[in-house]
Amino acid sequence: MLNIGEKLFKWIIKLLTFLSILLLAFIVIFIFNESFVFFKEVPIWKFIMGRSWNPLGPAENLSIFPIILGTIYVSIVGICISLPLGVGIAVILSTYTKDRVKSFIRGVIDVLAGIPSVVYGFIGLLVVVKFFEVRFSFAAGESVLAGGIVLSVMVLPFIVSTCAESMDKIYEEYSQASQALGVSKSYMIRNIILPASKRSIIASLVLALGRGMGETMATMMVIGNAPIMPKLFGKTQTIPSLIALEMGMAEVGSLHYHGLFAAGFVLMIMLLLVNVLIYFIKAKMDI
Amino acid sequence: MLERIKDYLFKAWLIMSALIVVLVVVFLFGYICINGIGSIDKEFLLSEPKGIPIGIEGGIFPAIIGSLLLMLIACVFSSILAISTAIYVVFYCKSERIKSFIHLIIQCMSGVPSIVLGLFGYALLVLYLGFGRSLLSGGITLGIFIFPFIQIRVEKTLKEVDKSIITSSYALGVSEVYTLFKIILPICRADIISAITLAGGFAMGAASPIILTAAVMFAPVPESLFSPVMALPFHLYILTGEGISLEKAYGTALVLMLLLLVINIISIILNIKRKESR
Repeated sequence: MLNIGEKLFKWIIKLLTFLSILLLAFIVIFIFNESFVFFKEVPIWKFIMGRSWNPLGPAENLSIFPIILGTIYVSIVGICISLPLGVGIAVILSTYTKDRVKSFIRGVIDVLAGIPSVVYGFIGLLVVVKFFEVRFSFAAGESVLAGGIVLSVMVLPFIVSTCAESMDKIYEEYSQASQALGVSKSYMIRNIILPASKRSIIASLVLALGRGMGETMATMMVIGNAPIMPKLFGKTQTIPSLIALEMGMAEVGSLHYHGLFAAGFVLMIMLLLVNVLIYFIKAKMDI
Repeated sequence: MLERIKDYLFKAWLIMSALIVVLVVVFLFGYICINGIGSIDKEFLLSEPKGIPIGIEGGIFPAIIGSLLLMLIACVFSSILAISTAIYVVFYCKSERIKSFIHLIIQCMSGVPSIVLGLFGYALLVLYLGFGRSLLSGGITLGIFIFPFIQIRVEKTLKEVDKSIITSSYALGVSEVYTLFKIILPICRADIISAITLAGGFAMGAASPIILTAAVMFAPVPESLFSPVMALPFHLYILTGEGISLEKAYGTALVLMLLLLVINIISIILNIKRKESR
């Protein structure tokens, strides 16, 4: 009797695991299925490389090259701002601070990670965008740069936690030896710890790229949402914001509807590739 | 000499980065608190949004309840799947290859952007299964959104359980299931609950999965699983995006942040308790 219970439990666990693994396949298949209709009308390379997005025109007018560029551009600007800050904080966390200060800084970083993206977008719109408009008298402060600034704060926690984790280990490994040799702390960090944690810095960079590219609300509220070629101080559009803005208007089953799914499909494939990359970088780091 | 300059520059970089980050955090909270505190009163918290366009007067009560319900459904749905997967990986799965395959899948799932999850929920739950824009569709979509987070945390706690306890339990002839429920899960309980509450916080703050699947501009407090809901993050987006009322938007943002703060504090207290009990 007991044995049956055991087996039943094991089967339930197996079934539920199987289901959760299937979820990803489900997501991919469903998104592909909805965009397949579109790819029959417009070949995929034309969709990716074309330069106009006009849902009212014929099928050839739906293409997302500027939007893909915008998606990548905004995240890269964000990472460029965030990386020096994040690595700096990680160094402080793993070398210069002890228990109490350390847990305080960690707490601050955790708080940053917990703030919802829509709140970031809200503050970005009211502070960053307005700052550009008032100080530099731009016609519209909504720009790639504003999106980058907002994203930089959002991806900071990921960069800090990924870097600090491996820096902790490296510091423990070398600190005694370098102290015994009388090397100053900052020399040791510059010449041993930073070079040794190069791989985790790259990992954090890729992770941040993935986060930034997938971010919807925060970027959507500050970049202006115009599907044109991105410039640092000009409006742009990202794939997530395109979907979030236009999905509500698109008639179910229309070409516009399937086109948005196709855009989602392209975004998903890009991010799956990024995450496979992260997985392999991480797997190499552990060994 | 050169070494000295390098040393100064290096230290200046570290201090600057710490300073900037702390300032940003203080600014974020200060900004929301100072601007939001004025618009919060009893009426704002406990009444429905009113006025034309809707939301310009009145309160956000249905949005608060809607957000809490969405979080609850997401947590239930996601923790069932996540905890089972974690148990399977740690206790039942014997093959390293399957384990690393599952880890790869979960890494990929954590990378699927939230808006694509929203699209998926829209296509499958809202249209194909005919749930409509509802509490249920939104809750399940949010559940998928937080699944990887809970799974990774729970798996980590399960792995940290002392192996000798488990082997001694097996050696005494205690069955696997009994060991799991009476020994391992009680040890990990605080940790697991803390992971779920944290994830619940993420679910509550996420707007993009529910834009397409659950949230509407105005709905009363939902009566069933299939009625559409209001949610705080979406309400905030509508209030600012459509330029309806900045004052109410500040208030909504503050309420959202305070709710998340409470959830985080619960999770932190659980964590401290766990450390004391060990």
